[in-house]
Amino acid sequence: MNNLQKNRLIDAAFKMVGMLCTLLGILILVILLYNIIRVGYTRVNWDFISSLPSRKPEEAGIYTAIIGTLDLMLLTIIFAIPIGIGAGLYLEEYAKKSRLSTLLEINIANLAGVPSIIYGLLGLGIFVRFFGFGGSILSGALTLSLLILPIIIVATREAIKAVPPSLKEASFALGASKWQTLQKVVLPSSSGGIVTGIILSLSRAIGETAPLIVVGAMAYVPFVPHSLFDTFSVLPMQIFTWTTRPQAGFAIAAGAAIIILLGITFLMNGIAVYLRNKWQNKLQ
Amino acid sequence: MAKQIAITMETIIEQSLPMDEIVDKSLKKTHTIEVNGAKVWYGDFMAIKGIDMMIKPNTVTSFIGPSGCGKSTFLRLFNRMNDYVDGFRMEGKIKVNGRNIYKDKVHVEELRKEIGMVFQKPNPFPKSIFENVAYGLKIQGIKDKKLINDRVEKALRQADLWEDVKDNLKKSALALSGGQQQRLCIARTLAVEPSIILMDEPTSALDPISTSKIEDLIFELKEKYTIVIVTHNMQQASRISDYTAFFYLGNLIEFDKTKNIFTNPKQQQTENYITGRFG
Amino acid sequence: MQNVIYHRDILNQSGMDMLSLCKGQLEKAKESFVNHDSDLAEEVIRTETRVNALDLKIEKDCEKFIALYTPVAIDLRFVIALLKINSELERIADHAYSISKYVIDIDTVIPPHLLKAVQFDTMFETVMNMLDHVTEAYENKNVKIARKVFKKDRILDDLNIKSFTVLEEEIKKDNGIIAESLILFSVVKKLERVGDLIKNIAEDIIFYIDAEVLKHQKKK
Repeated sequence: MNNLQKNRLIDAAFKMVGMLCTLLGILILVILLYNIIRVGYTRVNWDFISSLPSRKPEEAGIYTAIIGTLDLMLLTIIFAIPIGIGAGLYLEEYAKKSRLSTLLEINIANLAGVPSIIYGLLGLGIFVRFFGFGGSILSGALTLSLLILPIIIVATREAIKAVPPSLKEASFALGASKWQTLQKVVLPSSSGGIVTGIILSLSRAIGETAPLIVVGAMAYVPFVPHSLFDTFSVLPMQIFTWTTRPQAGFAIAAGAAIIILLGITFLMNGIAVYLRNKWQNKLQ
Repeated sequence: MAKQIAITMETIIEQSLPMDEIVDKSLKKTHTIEVNGAKVWYGDFMAIKGIDMMIKPNTVTSFIGPSGCGKSTFLRLFNRMNDYVDGFRMEGKIKVNGRNIYKDKVHVEELRKEIGMVFQKPNPFPKSIFENVAYGLKIQGIKDKKLINDRVEKALRQADLWEDVKDNLKKSALALSGGQQQRLCIARTLAVEPSIILMDEPTSALDPISTSKIEDLIFELKEKYTIVIVTHNMQQASRISDYTAFFYLGNLIEFDKTKNIFTNPKQQQTENYITGRFG
Repeated sequence: MQNVIYHRDILNQSGMDMLSLCKGQLEKAKESFVNHDSDLAEEVIRTETRVNALDLKIEKDCEKFIALYTPVAIDLRFVIALLKINSELERIADHAYSISKYVIDIDTVIPPHLLKAVQFDTMFETVMNMLDHVTEAYENKNVKIARKVFKKDRILDDLNIKSFTVLEEEIKKDNGIIAESLILFSVVKKLERVGDLIKNIAEDIIFYIDAEVLKHQKKK
């Protein structure tokens, strides 16, 4: 066959392969979800959510774990977002381009790939031991913040880089200062990319278990933490612990907890995407 | 002798006026640009090799020359937009409305209220039409809503865009056509009420009809403003400018009334360029 | 820009063509007049159509050049000058044509002593010299040579003024040559006009090359 036909064939073949891969991915996801829901749906009810963990599977609930997860997320957001965006802004807009700054850029990108358990060890050394916060929610939140900081910084930088320089030029030419330009032109334009980065990083944080174990999250916390310095637990930890227990009831409980966790994740992402779209539309 | 006196007087005046005060309003409307011995380097590369020039008020001056001759660089000296380029360095004196703008104490933000700039590719902010035109005013901290509304309308009228957009100022600026966007950018500049407007190839990205509208606009604006325009289009230069400056490789080859440049230029290089023998 | 340069050169060449065509017409007209050669005169008459055609062509080509290439500076001056030179040459050729028409229409031989009296040869030689000067000036873009014609034109003017009295004298001497004298007088006038036209051509060339306008100036 001639070139034209060959190309057409390759085109069609590639399209087929792409579709199959996508379907495969979706299929696996569907199977996973189906299995989880099948296992755990019976126990998803208000009781489950509001009960404390217990040695008996029928009575075990995720109250502590949920509170822990939500508190942790809140604190992480408070710590990581301002610092991450601020650092990204500074590095991209204010820092002079030099060998040092290039080095910094590479290293921050590397940090995003460091295994999370290393962050756990870091958190253990600094927050738990050195600062003496102990195995508390505060330590956990700070550790998670460190973990997701590189992601937010890189996302912020990329989003800012994507703002056309012509817009900044226009702002300067009208007599705006650097900060005014950043505030009124650059940040609004890059908000989409920044929020996407935040979504990605929080989604990762919410599922982290290993670093939190190292820092001191407990598997069995039969009371609700009241202060920042209290011991805590999180949903992934609770799930992990229950799956290691022999009783069948715990397996179901774990399934239910996973459903809840997925629910929270989807909700969080949903809110973030909604916010992002809302801000984007305001600009258009 | 007269020159000596002039130079001495200039020195005395410069030394007696404190440089860090806000622009003297009375100087604002003399709107001239005076350049003495301007030289520019980007790192090791010398982009402008020593230029003197005097731009008169209420004139349109066009800068022509082949690519890379330094005309855009020279234009951007006037509102210090080159400051953002790595490795930029300049020597010489540039006086805008009587003030040396490269003295340390001059704030660029103040300078850019005197001198506005319109760019080659229309670059409206991704905001509404109103917000775009009001941007320069809000930057200055102006909060009076009535004042802002009035200035926005005035600027849009001056830019010949008011009729097109008056019914929906909240519409996104990006929904306008290319020619309209450029006129919006001009309105945005006019709202700040500068005395001098710089234009860097303002119509090269536009179709002939939009170009023609903007050229008409420039002609109207001449009454109130001093305009300097960089252009690749020699017919445009000959159509709309009073004075023309021909640049080549960082030097100013010739600066004269446009009609002289295009009927009988003094330098052979100028003639070679405008007759298309090179360039 | 190669296209523009190519068309500019074509225009330039057509100017040269017109110059040489008109020179030829003048020479033939003189020969036919002096020798009462009606065959040569016929040739001049026939060639007039070529002159007119070239005249029209040059005008049209100039118009096209301006419209398409928006010339400026020296190119613009060249086209404007060419248009004028073209028109002046066409009028010179017209005079050559009229002189030839005399030879055909009026079957009178001009007595040689009359020609000598008015210094016809000198006049004609002066005219041809002037034409050669402007041709060279045009071809080589040489302003100095163009300026030479102004002095020569004065010689022509001088001889022209003298021709009146000279012919008056001759008529007094011999009444029979009134017709011939009148014809000769008319041709002499024509030569003087040709001289003026060549002077205009020189002014046009100086304008084109130096952008100096000499029109309507007293002293040159």
